[in-house]
Amino acid sequence: MGLIEVKDLKYTYPHSEKPVLTDVSLTVQPGEFILLTGPSGCGKTTFCRCLNGLVPKFYNGVMEGSVKVAGLDTKENPIMKLAQHVGLIFQNPDNQIFALTVEKDIAFGLENLGVRKEEIYREIEWAVETTGLQLLRQRATHELSGGQKQRLTIASVLAMRPDIIVMDEPTSFLDPVGAEHIFSVLDHLNKELGITIILIEHRMDLAAKYVDRMIVLDEGRVVQDGEPTTVFAHDQTRLLGVGIPRVFELARRLNSRGVHFSRLPVSAQQFYDEIKPRLPEHKPPETEGTDILSGFAGEYHHQPAVQVRDVCFTYPGGVEALRDVSLTIHQGDYVAIMGENGAGKTTLVKHFNGLLKPSSGEVMVNSVDVSTLSVAQLARNIGLVFQNPDDQLFEETVEKEISFALRNFGFDESVIEKRVTWALNLLDLTEYRQKSPFTLSGGERKRVALASVLAWDPDILVLDEPTIGQDYGQKERLRHFLTHLRSQGKSVVIVTHDVEFVAESQPRIVLMAGGRVVDDGASKEIMTRLETLSSCSVAPPEITRLFCMLSDHGLPRDVLDVNEAFDILIRNMGGTTT
Amino acid sequence: MSLLESLRFTRGDTFIHNMDPRVKFLLTLVSFAASIMFLELVPLIVIFLVQLPLIVAAKVLREWYKSVKGASVIAVIIFASNMLSFYYFRGGQLTWALVEYSLALTVRFIALITSFSVFFLTTSPDKLSLALEKARVPYEFNFAFITAIRFVPVLADEAQTIMDAQRSRGLELDKGNFITRVKNYIPILLPLIINSIRRSLELAEAMESRAFGATEKRTNIYELNMTGSDYAVLIIVLFCLGVMVYAKLYLPPFPGLLGEELII
Repeated sequence: MGLIEVKDLKYTYPHSEKPVLTDVSLTVQPGEFILLTGPSGCGKTTFCRCLNGLVPKFYNGVMEGSVKVAGLDTKENPIMKLAQHVGLIFQNPDNQIFALTVEKDIAFGLENLGVRKEEIYREIEWAVETTGLQLLRQRATHELSGGQKQRLTIASVLAMRPDIIVMDEPTSFLDPVGAEHIFSVLDHLNKELGITIILIEHRMDLAAKYVDRMIVLDEGRVVQDGEPTTVFAHDQTRLLGVGIPRVFELARRLNSRGVHFSRLPVSAQQFYDEIKPRLPEHKPPETEGTDILSGFAGEYHHQPAVQVRDVCFTYPGGVEALRDVSLTIHQGDYVAIMGENGAGKTTLVKHFNGLLKPSSGEVMVNSVDVSTLSVAQLARNIGLVFQNPDDQLFEETVEKEISFALRNFGFDESVIEKRVTWALNLLDLTEYRQKSPFTLSGGERKRVALASVLAWDPDILVLDEPTIGQDYGQKERLRHFLTHLRSQGKSVVIVTHDVEFVAESQPRIVLMAGGRVVDDGASKEIMTRLETLSSCSVAPPEITRLFCMLSDHGLPRDVLDVNEAFDILIRNMGGTTT
Repeated sequence: MSLLESLRFTRGDTFIHNMDPRVKFLLTLVSFAASIMFLELVPLIVIFLVQLPLIVAAKVLREWYKSVKGASVIAVIIFASNMLSFYYFRGGQLTWALVEYSLALTVRFIALITSFSVFFLTTSPDKLSLALEKARVPYEFNFAFITAIRFVPVLADEAQTIMDAQRSRGLELDKGNFITRVKNYIPILLPLIINSIRRSLELAEAMESRAFGATEKRTNIYELNMTGSDYAVLIIVLFCLGVMVYAKLYLPPFPGLLGEELII
């Protein structure tokens, strides 16, 4: 008998006609590490809610079939009983931390169960040790960083000694190193303590190497279930727009061209181990491919669009967020600002449109000092789109939402009408024109927020974490869209943690740490400076990681995307090129 | 605002911080009662002077100063309104006694502020909730209290982000007449309210998942234990209360400091 047994599960939320889950049947054995994925809206989160009885107990609605967890039928047992077997961790850590101190929050579940005090302290001790929070035990919860908060949510659930931990996109707000940390904690829980883990995740490149089973959902049905390598290799997975780890994709393509792999790899290390014996030992590195041209190409820049000179900024509370930041963004530039959580990235872009004024130094936009202009005046040239669309949507219809800014800027009604139609078209939202933004899905809301800024056609577009919570297909569309904007001569600045997204669109990268700009240059240069990257909590993309290992064998290091990697490896490993 | 800001708990490891919250609350209540009980300048100044060492011992002098500064406008209003109203009611005679009386009311106000700021500045909400629990306040109420405090910084952040997002879309908050200005806040309030509703649902879900309300006999990992020094403080506080009640009931009223004669 499995630890989790789901039979013919079908579930429909109240006030909804279409079932979210249909005919889901599966068994989970103790000790498995499962990655659950699928396009946005496929029913992943609902499935997790079924595991501890939130569905149907908390949500009501119509549930058919049965779910048994540790032998307990979820229809017959109260959530509080199931909660002792299944620890459910949600996406936003802030909404599941109840106490004011770390220690007290870890105790919350056990206190609710009426466990003896001495025992709770023992469990806290163990939970903080397992998650690496020993030194933060007495810390106030609101002072923790994003990664620490996420680890606290794990510790809090862990203290209840569950058999199963279910995590819904735990790393979407974290920098790559923070994300890696979470995964390694989960891996430890799984391998050392035998806890069954079910993980919902879109970041395949980071997560795939840890798991031993993958389940893909689409429109409420299980469409793939098996070993990650089998699932990734299946055409259906690709067609659904599930992200395939880049190294896997690379190996698959090489495999089909005669470079044989005994087992397709899901991480750079596995890839390297596989092909290392077939490479010549220690050849001096080839001259880095792209450098041949750089000697000839002159430096040509357009007019500067944003100039930041020696800017320092200290928040009223006394936190020094920016220290001597200097940076120039030219017209038509495409820049990614990267760095650890709390490095000052968002603080920096808030200076571009005057939301924050520098404590010292100056910021110029189109050669005008921003301190002389109001936010509304600056916004005409600089469109800033925030991370979470829910922090700005408020109108009754999508149309009104998009025209909000246009009215603020005093456009004519006839112009507003045209601009709205244009923006709706651009982001493929025309069919939702008269709908309420609140009835749309997360990805669509994000597009509405973007459209509401693009509508007034700013020259410079700044996007804060545009890829958070987006599935692979949505990210691809965003990437094409940004290319389209740049072809119109607009400057695009993104603040992001998503190295894979960066690797595929190759912007200029500005690396930040501790309120300073640590490095600034082309993607290829920055992504191969491993030490600088790690000091900013950024991990290079898997492909680059692979080529850094391969550079011992005479291959260039600065390779970021799959196509380039494929060409180089085919040339060097004697596969058939046609 | 700065007045409320300065009542926020500041962590510390002093005698005052570690005092049992119930004893500390009694201390606050007694100071409160004392300030209300007397109307004369002399005892009020004494009460105020007695509180000062507590502030120093708790190392919250700066925070306390901020709260008094925040309250200073109100203090001035109290002084001025008393002066003015009594001046007119007493037939337009300005006496030293009147100045002294107004001054006494102002000192009383400052003493009240001080006693509460010492309490709130040095008592962690966790301990406060524990004291409530001991007073048999139902846990649900207690939980709501802690959650409210827990989400103050979260909501403040969110409000700031929403404001930034809307200003980036050309919203000008301080534009137009009073009515337009109020309307300007709709794009900020609506997302804030909607997010809060969404958040409350998520919170409820997370509470259920952590077995909230599983048993009647809930454990609390923190406990209140009266130590020797807590008892000592308790005795001193009760003794002071006794002395004050005695002074109020059996001793003649304190003589004025400034005398009775007319100024003009």
